Amino acid sequence: MAAKAEARKTGAAAKRKRPKLAAVPAAAATADDAKFDRLIYERVRLGIMSALAVREELTFTELKALFDVSDGNLSAHARKLEEASYLTCTKSFEDRRPRSVYRITALGRNALHRYLDHVEAVIKATRRS
Amino acid sequence: MQSANTVQLDSHAAATLRYIRASMESAVSLAVPGSTGVASGIVGLLAAVVSSVPALRPHWLIIWLLAAAAAAGVGGALLLRQPSLSSLTIGGAPIRRFFIGLLPSLFAGAVMTWVLWTNAGERMIPGTWLLLYGCGLVAASAATTRAIGILGASFVAAGLLALVLPQAWQIAMLGVGFGGLHIVFGYLMGRAGHGRES
Repeated sequence: MAAKAEARKTGAAAKRKRPKLAAVPAAAATADDAKFDRLIYERVRLGIMSALAVREELTFTELKALFDVSDGNLSAHARKLEEASYLTCTKSFEDRRPRSVYRITALGRNALHRYLDHVEAVIKATRRS
Repeated sequence: MQSANTVQLDSHAAATLRYIRASMESAVSLAVPGSTGVASGIVGLLAAVVSSVPALRPHWLIIWLLAAAAAAGVGGALLLRQPSLSSLTIGGAPIRRFFIGLLPSLFAGAVMTWVLWTNAGERMIPGTWLLLYGCGLVAASAATTRAIGILGASFVAAGLLALVLPQAWQIAMLGVGFGGLHIVFGYLMGRAGHGRES
């Protein structure tokens, strides 16, 4: 009983001391933007977008080597980003073997920048509070 | 309790930023084109051929120093030719780390060349070059791909071999190292980076 009362007292004290968190701008400004959160948040997709932000283009094989993922896994993630028009994929054949080259689009670059801004805002807000 | 949550959120966001940065750096480090190795290798092979001509043999050191400058120029130009690389990584972490790894060994090579040349140690110069260049590549491989590290280790092995071989083999060892190894690894790296899907 005494322990419970002590816990209640500590909880109430913590509530009184709880600092207010600073406001963080929403990553998604509109409902249309909302899906970008879920798209970029995933680790492999975030990695793909980041890598393509500093390279003009990357092939499927290069991306696979970078993130150490299976063919199927990488294809699925890349397709999702492609469907959102964040990436373009050019498929061709070289020595009768398929070759896929990925490039980031302006829309994708903007989405990545928005995401980066949001993450930085979270860091600043938590450090302020 | 709340402050602990706040720290978690903060560190999660910071980890996300670190992951983004690491992804960017890894992507850039893959950008070392195989053509750089092939071009440097061709210069190395030419130097080996020219310095093997009996009439030019006494001038082998000058020939190889000129070849080193030419290979560095051609290789550097090919390395920086890619617009995405040049716009984002000159002075950036991967390129800087690569040169920080490589330059001390090249400096040591220059000093040792002078010391050996002025102390009648000419026979040891090729082995020293191969060994130190290999050490530099191994150190620089931290900023690039594992292939560069393996290339560096191969140079180290070639250097050790050259140090125990007689004078007559020294030019050939330079050709094998700076010519052959560069071309073979450049070709393999070019193939790997060409993006052929299985």
